Amino acid sequence: MTVTQSSSPANSGVAPGRGRRLLSSFRVLFDRPVTAFGTSIFLLFLFLAVAGPWLAPYGSNEQIYSDARQPPSLAHWFGTDQLGRDVFSRILYGSREVLFEAGLGTLMALFLGMTLGLIAGYRRGWIDELLMRFFDSLLALPALLLALLLLGTIGRSRYSVLIVIVIVYTPIIARVARSVVLSVREKAFVEAAQIQGESSLHIMFREILPSVMPALTVEGALRFSYAIFLVASLGFLGVGVQPPSPNWGLLVSEARPHAAQLPWSLFFPAAAIALVVIGVNLMADGIKRILMGER
Amino acid sequence: MLGTRFPIHNKRLVGLLILLIFSLLIVSCGGTTQESTSEDVAQPAEAETSGSAEVESAEEPSAPAVDGGTLRVAMQPIVNIDPIAISSDSEVLVANHVYDYLIDIDAQSKIVPRLATKWSTADGGLTYVFQLADGVKWHDGSDFSAADVVWTFERLRSTEGTPTADLYNNIASIEQTGDLEVTFKLSEPNSFFLYDLSDNHALILKEGTEDAHTNFNGTGPFKVENYSPEDRISLVANEDYFIEGQPKLDGIDIIFFNDDSAAVDALTGGQIDLAMRMPTALFQTLEETPGIRTFSIPTNGFDLVRLRSDREPGNNPLVIQALKLATDREAIFNVVQQGYGALGNDTPIGPLYGDYFDPSIAPLERDVETARALLADAGYDENNPLSLTLHTPDTGGRPDLAAVLKEQWAEAGVEIEISVEPESVYYGDDGWLEVDLGITGWGSRPYPQFYLDTMLVSDAKWNESHFSDEEFDQLAAEAAKTLDDGRRVSLYRQMERILVDRGPILVPYFFAQFAAINDQFTGLDLKAFAGRTDLREVGLSGS
Repeated sequence: MTVTQSSSPANSGVAPGRGRRLLSSFRVLFDRPVTAFGTSIFLLFLFLAVAGPWLAPYGSNEQIYSDARQPPSLAHWFGTDQLGRDVFSRILYGSREVLFEAGLGTLMALFLGMTLGLIAGYRRGWIDELLMRFFDSLLALPALLLALLLLGTIGRSRYSVLIVIVIVYTPIIARVARSVVLSVREKAFVEAAQIQGESSLHIMFREILPSVMPALTVEGALRFSYAIFLVASLGFLGVGVQPPSPNWGLLVSEARPHAAQLPWSLFFPAAAIALVVIGVNLMADGIKRILMGER
Repeated sequence: MLGTRFPIHNKRLVGLLILLIFSLLIVSCGGTTQESTSEDVAQPAEAETSGSAEVESAEEPSAPAVDGGTLRVAMQPIVNIDPIAISSDSEVLVANHVYDYLIDIDAQSKIVPRLATKWSTADGGLTYVFQLADGVKWHDGSDFSAADVVWTFERLRSTEGTPTADLYNNIASIEQTGDLEVTFKLSEPNSFFLYDLSDNHALILKEGTEDAHTNFNGTGPFKVENYSPEDRISLVANEDYFIEGQPKLDGIDIIFFNDDSAAVDALTGGQIDLAMRMPTALFQTLEETPGIRTFSIPTNGFDLVRLRSDREPGNNPLVIQALKLATDREAIFNVVQQGYGALGNDTPIGPLYGDYFDPSIAPLERDVETARALLADAGYDENNPLSLTLHTPDTGGRPDLAAVLKEQWAEAGVEIEISVEPESVYYGDDGWLEVDLGITGWGSRPYPQFYLDTMLVSDAKWNESHFSDEEFDQLAAEAAKTLDDGRRVSLYRQMERILVDRGPILVPYFFAQFAAINDQFTGLDLKAFAGRTDLREVGLSGS
């Protein structure tokens, strides 16, 4: 496989054939059947997130009273809920909300965690000590509990869930980044750069970062699947978003009292959560196997 | 190091997800057997808005109840057992069968005798004289007398911090005027004094009862045989009960259930015989269950959508009118309540109040265009829409009601942001009494004056809409005092019209009270407040 070479940290200062490498790492996502399965699911939902509002046959809170409590049919593929809302349309709208919040939150956490991890790992000393002890204290709390505490403090809105994802996942990503930095900073090419008199910033982001990227990519993909789960969980608990938001977790929570009579209104959003989390997770697993050199 | 971390995470996560899917599958499979019910949409659409509490039971009990049998009732655990502190359905149900009220209220909200057999009024409604039943004995064997009644009401009105201290502050004196005669004197006339005497807490205790928490010495139809907190309370029939032929049952076991759906499962499984608390969805499954007789009666309880009217934007009558016009009450009733209960018309004086309710006031027709025009007159349009946050507790059908209102009002150009809150937040400081727009649930009361005095007159304690209308205040004050029934009816009807026309409130529906009983038993007369349901006439079906 050509990929193993592309992920080796040694040649990352320069970037020969960047486009081809990107393409081949993309192909890697379909390398094994399991990974291909996960990637396909993710891409499907990504497509739905982008195109959902155009594909959805009904509005996200459109209530057709005469169609309330209908089982799945041709007119309503996933049936309707107790207020006559089309479950399929709500899941389509919800995919945008869930993937957008989880994705953006994870990206922000990745960026912040990466920066802080680089600084802590490269600089060491008091700044390392301070950051890590602080992160340890955050990590001591279970993610969901921390999220609930934060939401209680900063209030509820679309952005508060984003902020929560960033605060919950930044420490984990920073620790991963730092641990890789600690081993890389002793390498000869870093020393060489130091001797050349490069600035710390240059060394951190141009020399060390490329070696950290594979681990971060894997961690990021995993965190993304957890973030989807977190967004849905907070929706389910009713703390992240407010009705009539089509957040999948909120859909599950709203459908729960009607589970015996309208099982479809519970099953489909729950299945969507499960499917997308499994998909992203399998994809992350595939990425890890490639980038970390496992087979 | 990294390589070893991920697989563990992965396996755990995938395992969790598989578990989730399986549990969901089980949940949804369990439900598919009842699919047939959900296809006929909003079935009882032509709902009973008539005055009588109609029982929706399939077949009326043909044979009269015969004596015997122990009725097992599912109820929430009780906390308070001293009548002065009871409040929940289950607490009142227990107390109501161990003790007796002086006078009682029947399922049609009419005053009926209990320990008092006759009464008369004098001095323009300032004096009430009650004759008590003869031959009543306490469970400990001693004789009941007027002194017990005096002692009980003195305790109720003089114990600080109790709801009854407020309720009875209009009583000037309570005196024993004979062996079996009690005289109440009031400082001001009160049209609803008899109803007040039948307040949930006003169960008669024996004079000098020290500790009503452990000592259950009542006159009631049942005696406490055994009480295991958090498990059950067992009652046995009082052989010496003063009313001939009552109770019919040998005993009642009140078994405590924290979870309504577990209680319904126990009912279908035959472990209990009567459940009186369940969500609509479970009630519908019971309607289809053989061997179970179901009851659904409209109550006077309702969800109140109210706009604060003492500041922008609710202080503009055009806004109130526009929101009323933009609301489709019938659709809300059919979708949120599924047609159970009764349709509302923006007044708490509902169809169950008999003559007080004016059936000639037509429900407002929905008219989105006019609503939009009124909002435009009030200065709201597409560029400057009326936008409000709708606060709602996370209980009952209120979140659904909020979602429906948001959609209905959106058609008139109103932007609603929903805030679903735990009850502790909604009813907390800066909560329901402060917010501009909210949904508040109000429980069922046997007479409507309560809602006017506590919620709608200018200086009402819980005037959440901050409604202040001089004409309305005068009418409400007069209705509270007049002893002329015809006059009171006319006053209530005038107030209904004011509320429908300009009250900053919406009452889209009245709740239903559900009950389901094993059809071995008959004679259940369900009340709007389930705890006041009288089980004295319940017995085994004859056949």
